[in-house]
Amino acid sequence: MTPTEPLTRGAAAQRTVRPPLPVKMVIAGGFGVGKTTAVGSISEIEPLTTEAAITEVAAGVDDLSHTPQKTTTTVAMDFGCITIDPTLKLYLFGTPGQERFGFMWDDIVEGAVGALVIVDTRRLDDCYAAVDYFEHKGIPFAVAINAFDGKVEHSLDEVRWALDIAEGTPLSVFDARERGSVRDALLVVLELALARTEGAA
Amino acid sequence: MADGAAPPPEPDPDPDAGADPVADPASGPAPVPGSDPAPVPVGPASAVRPFLVTAGRVAGSGEAESGRTMPVETQLVTTVAGLDGLDRLSFERRDIVAACRQPQSIAEIAARLRLHLNVVRVLAEDLRRAGQLSVHVPDAGVTHGASVLRRVIEGLRAIPDSRGILRDTD
Repeated sequence: MTPTEPLTRGAAAQRTVRPPLPVKMVIAGGFGVGKTTAVGSISEIEPLTTEAAITEVAAGVDDLSHTPQKTTTTVAMDFGCITIDPTLKLYLFGTPGQERFGFMWDDIVEGAVGALVIVDTRRLDDCYAAVDYFEHKGIPFAVAINAFDGKVEHSLDEVRWALDIAEGTPLSVFDARERGSVRDALLVVLELALARTEGAA
Repeated sequence: MADGAAPPPEPDPDPDAGADPVADPASGPAPVPGSDPAPVPVGPASAVRPFLVTAGRVAGSGEAESGRTMPVETQLVTTVAGLDGLDRLSFERRDIVAACRQPQSIAEIAARLRLHLNVVRVLAEDLRRAGQLSVHVPDAGVTHGASVLRRVIEGLRAIPDSRGILRDTD
């Protein structure tokens, strides 16, 4: 049953710890939109950064036109976690902000229960890629406008229209610096995921 | 030590045996409370030789068998054999086995040991085959299930608004 089968002798077996079930959510959005801030506001650990080597298609980049079509790039990805109980742990992964890192998104997003797309109303363009991505992947997601300085430049209706967000996709305003606000934004995503699971059952 | 030096179990031909889905959190030995493992320096990954330690391999052989990559949240746990054989391991393999006495995700190991994600994937698969690490790939059918989602929602709701006086003073 377990990989440690040959070692189920006496006290030794008790030393093998059973890990928690990891549940993953993704925090997406453009560069500098507050993804790492949001993760840091609610994570029980300081957000960790890992650098992952990814392969990206270099088509259209003149300088690389004489090289093979792929090149390896290193991207930084921030993440944090919340221990729900000893058997269950929620991981929050921030996607690298740039659109061209679609490959890396797949690597991070595989298996995620849902995603929160953070929007800065001063730079709406930056989150198109994320909204498109999760719509196409069929991953439950909600859009949350990060209210920098407590102010939002556009109304929710304007943002919904501008981003062409489907009616069923939750849209709200939150503050990435406030733990309770981040918690509530994540809950919207989880409740959407739960509703979808129950609807499918 | 002499007894513990016995060779690791036969490489398991069944790829699923080592990739035990964490499907039943209610059973098994009492897990260690979710405390953060001892602090390990966090910083940029080495740009010099990210894949040297994997002998140039960029994807775990287990990936080819299972047809999918280990998700970044896949949990790694040191086995008793891994702990017993710690002295015979070196460099990154030793670091991983030592760190995973506390269960950790592939992403956490990559960050804490400053290794690329795919290097950790390759080494984790090696160590699993050698019986030194157990690799728990989460079962999406379980993590996406209503009961798990409800538990996560309840757990999140219990988190208070404020962390205390240290936040948002700027």
